[in-house]
Amino acid sequence: MAEKVSNQSLLTWFLQRFSGLFLAIFLFTHIDVHHFLHRQGLINFAEVNERLAGSVGWKIFYIFFVPFCVFHALNGIWAILADYRPSGGFSASTKVVFWVVGLILTAIGALTLVNLFAVGV
Amino acid sequence: MAFQGMIKNAYQDASLNKNVGTFAFWFHRLSGIGLAVYLIMHTYVLSSAISGKESFSARMGAVQNPLFAFLEIVLIGGVFFHMLNGLRISICDFFDLTRAHKLFFWIEMVLFIAIMVLTVILQWPKLQSGFYPTM
Repeated sequence: MAEKVSNQSLLTWFLQRFSGLFLAIFLFTHIDVHHFLHRQGLINFAEVNERLAGSVGWKIFYIFFVPFCVFHALNGIWAILADYRPSGGFSASTKVVFWVVGLILTAIGALTLVNLFAVGV
Repeated sequence: MAFQGMIKNAYQDASLNKNVGTFAFWFHRLSGIGLAVYLIMHTYVLSSAISGKESFSARMGAVQNPLFAFLEIVLIGGVFFHMLNGLRISICDFFDLTRAHKLFFWIEMVLFIAIMVLTVILQWPKLQSGFYPTM
């Protein structure tokens, strides 16, 4: 008889696949533009700012990209740990740590983008 | 001790099932852990923008040299293996193609090698000492 899967586990499993598929598209663009297309000299603030400032398209892109990256990374690590059937206490405390780390990373990412997107710097 | 047990279990599992599926499974995990660590380092470098444009340019300048250009190739290898393998897993799962997973693995490998050849060609100038201007 099939074991019942909790709704939360099913949701995070699905979100891991969904965020992964989105990241496949996002990362292709991100790497292409920010790692490959830059072929001369050093990347500096002025160059990144010029590309991003005032661009609605890049804003939408990164509003999804940053949280999806953070979620996919932390949920992926959590899935590895969960495979080893951790105890209830370890499981609960790890979830708290991951949530805190995730929120901090997302907040830092958001603040960074606000500065990189600033117009007239 | 718990960590040692995890490693031992992983080794026994890999030894018992020596096939491309096991390789893909473990490499997906290892590349995923590596990318999660990179995400934190990437956030650290880019977050210097919060302190101002000079700070951002200085920290970005510190990671732009032939060594980091080489590490970028390793990074892109990890990204694309993880990405292509993740797509293979999703295609096999969602389209009921699990029995063809080994075929998809080899298709993935062909694409991966093609992307890596392109990556090395594109990165090659950055590996030369004269590419980056001196600070």
